Amino acid sequence: MAIPVTIADDSALSRKMIRRALPAHWDAEISEATNGREAILAVEAGKADVLFLDLQMPEMDGYQVLQTLKDHHEKTVVIVISADIQPEAVALVNSLGAFRFLKKPLVASELQQTLTEVGLL
Amino acid sequence: MNALLSEAQRDALQELMNISMGQAANALARLIETRITLSIPRIVAATPSEFAALLSQHEENWFTRQSFMGKVNGEALTQLTKEGCEALAVAMDYDVPLSDASRKELVLELANILAGACLTGFSEQLDLATKLSMPTLYVPTVNSGEQVVEYFRWTSTLLLEVEFSVDASLFDSKVIICLEQRSVQTLLASINELLE
Repeated sequence: MAIPVTIADDSALSRKMIRRALPAHWDAEISEATNGREAILAVEAGKADVLFLDLQMPEMDGYQVLQTLKDHHEKTVVIVISADIQPEAVALVNSLGAFRFLKKPLVASELQQTLTEVGLL
Repeated sequence: MNALLSEAQRDALQELMNISMGQAANALARLIETRITLSIPRIVAATPSEFAALLSQHEENWFTRQSFMGKVNGEALTQLTKEGCEALAVAMDYDVPLSDASRKELVLELANILAGACLTGFSEQLDLATKLSMPTLYVPTVNSGEQVVEYFRWTSTLLLEVEFSVDASLFDSKVIICLEQRSVQTLLASINELLE
């Protein structure tokens, strides 16, 4: 059965880059969110067993999404993909329960290795 | 607002700059051991009059300029708020008030980091390798009516506006990329390839 996956990023280019970096043979049902609020709605709708999450987003940022998921004990596997790569951002994201922090520009092999580590590939 | 760029092109360019600026902020944050808050870059195509208006703010700002050559050619102007520079100097352990020499060193260093990050966005992510010259301080020439009288040959000006803030003190900076007409076409062609 296809794995429900949501890509949350306000940039259309970034969403496209993440899609391109995913393995071609991966059986995933991909949805997109353009802000944190949409990302939370996708999780609630069962569309995000895996959530690729940007940090800088309008309405509700990635940190708030992580906090909300943590508060609700959601089982979503969150992989943060961010342009803000400062040590504090990485530490905060990890403390909020993200599975992995990947830097932009996204490297396809790093994303695929991460998916292997989660046992999704 | 923006005849030069389509929405998809603007989004792509903004995201590329965002990634480059993230790398620049990380380098700077490690240098001063302080978290730097970065705004999402704003990208607009500036008209000559808007460009002149920007340069007229030279009482409050330092300006630097540096040329770049390669697959795209043009000039990068960086605007840094004077107030913000002093605040950053404190974070970087300079003795304040700054001497003229230290101030110049700091301003040129910061400008080079910021403008360099923008150009890295073009070079690495769009495969448009360019070489950036060292920056120099630049004071716009004004007439008796305080109007900027500088003549700029650039007709296509991409204005990339990024705000950095350090601690509580707002350190504002803008990087202005001026491109030759042919380079604008090259840039757009590369962005279009990315969007295919």
